[in-house]
Amino acid sequence: MPAILRAEGLSKRFGGLKANDNVSIALEQGSILGLIGPNGAGKSTCFAMLAGSLPPTSGRIFIGEREITGLPAFQIARAGVVRTHQIVRPFANLTLFENCAVAAVQSSGLAHEEARALARETLEFVGLANRRREYPAGLTLASRKRLEMARGLSCKPKVLLLDEVIAGVNPAEAREMVTLIRRIRDERGVSILMTEHVMAAVMSLCEHVTVLDAGKLIASGTPQEVVANPEVIAAYLGKKHA
Amino acid sequence: MKLRWPTWVRPRAAIGLLVVCAALAMGPLLHDNIYWHNQLTLTFLGIAAALAWNWLGGYLGQVSFGHAAMFGVGGFAAAQAQIHLHVPMVPAWIAGGVLAGLFALIWGHPTLRLRGPYFSIATIGVGEATRLVCTYWDAFTGGSSGLSLPMQQNLKHQLYWYGIALAAVALAGSYALRRSPLGLSLLAIKSDVDAAGDVGVSSTRLQDLVLFLSGGMIGICGGFYASYFSYIEPGNMFGFDRSISWVLTGVIGGIGTIAGPAFGAVVFVLLQQSLIASYPQLYLGLYGMLLVLVILFEPLGLTGLALRVLHRARPDLSVTGVAGED
Repeated sequence: MPAILRAEGLSKRFGGLKANDNVSIALEQGSILGLIGPNGAGKSTCFAMLAGSLPPTSGRIFIGEREITGLPAFQIARAGVVRTHQIVRPFANLTLFENCAVAAVQSSGLAHEEARALARETLEFVGLANRRREYPAGLTLASRKRLEMARGLSCKPKVLLLDEVIAGVNPAEAREMVTLIRRIRDERGVSILMTEHVMAAVMSLCEHVTVLDAGKLIASGTPQEVVANPEVIAAYLGKKHA
Repeated sequence: MKLRWPTWVRPRAAIGLLVVCAALAMGPLLHDNIYWHNQLTLTFLGIAAALAWNWLGGYLGQVSFGHAAMFGVGGFAAAQAQIHLHVPMVPAWIAGGVLAGLFALIWGHPTLRLRGPYFSIATIGVGEATRLVCTYWDAFTGGSSGLSLPMQQNLKHQLYWYGIALAAVALAGSYALRRSPLGLSLLAIKSDVDAAGDVGVSSTRLQDLVLFLSGGMIGICGGFYASYFSYIEPGNMFGFDRSISWVLTGVIGGIGTIAGPAFGAVVFVLLQQSLIASYPQLYLGLYGMLLVLVILFEPLGLTGLALRVLHRARPDLSVTGVAGED
């Protein structure tokens, strides 16, 4: 399978701190790739670079054959790589439908009426259709995370970057979220790169997992291989457990 | 070819605007009360300017305290075009407006990266700097002694109708900016500029576009003002109190709503004109009190108040979703 999203040797420096150091990632078409690592490992920085919110200090990013390194976020979204935010950021002054409609109109490449239809249908897909006229302030955290995903999906992306969409919701909601993520891949054909601290979700969803620690890529493989890797155990639990 | 409205235009709104304009346009034919004639002309000007300010301050949440800069640039450019190049009045206004819009882009393109209070403070600087430069720039503004425009026959009557047209164009522009697909993007930028970028909203271009339109419309208003008073001087045109008056009308009328600033402008002009002769400063005091009340109790100003009353009378009407409802 060809890689739909490829990062080669990404680095990001903040002054003397190397938040990401020579990170390479390849997301295969139609797969779910997990990006894990302890707090402060550089996962969010990596996401921000892939989505165009932060320019990389060095390295290159490709979607399919097209290089998107250094493009502004809105162009990367239109090119098909869309992120969600770890701390949800709905447009508070727009209804749920309008939240999705603005994304669909700007980035799906569809004509206006079709874009609005896509926004409606996407809300239906994540289970928020009956609340489409409400404002985000009335939603629970789990529903806001669904909205965040619906807004991303309304862009009709090739790749969805999910930044900790499961963390912080209760176990029942987490199970529903896992199902939803799988459906996004299976029914929408969207390839997914996700960071997550809830390991049960990572183990059940991801075909491949890449591990970051202190900005460096330390392991890569199937979830089973990765959790058995001594370096990964050392990164999470300290050297004496490895 | 049959003319088709875009789907986001409500025929009712377009017809309503035309009817109101037609009714107002009959005014001078029915009566010749010069006082009300002048009063209304100034009100139309206030409406157009307040609405144009609201495109940037309300829709994008970038509250400008420096819009008098564009008012002055547009006014003096239009005056110069009429005095030295003998351009007819309306083309001169439009030229002044374009120039004012471009001037807005020159300072606004870099400044719009700032948000909220930081942007507002920058606009105070821009407004004052422009006022000072233009006060000393004799060739452009005639310095402190100002410029006199060529006199024309029957100008005040003409300007009444042009004033209606100006306010109508501004109102149609407000409607289009808010209800077209662009409107949602502007509100998204207002809510969270980074998140808007992440779903494909090109915030830099849209902010520049809105600033150009807003500054340009204010510039046209400046040209209209120059023609109306046929004498202008920089201290008045670029005055800080002028910039403030648009912030006040916007906030009191209903910031970010389609027509709210128009109501704010009506109240402002009428209060100002009816009190200025007897109590010159009182209208500012009253307006300040209104401002405090609005900020404390009704963030959407007079529009919010009207919507509440409407909602009480007709609870079946949804009054929250002003635009783009599904």
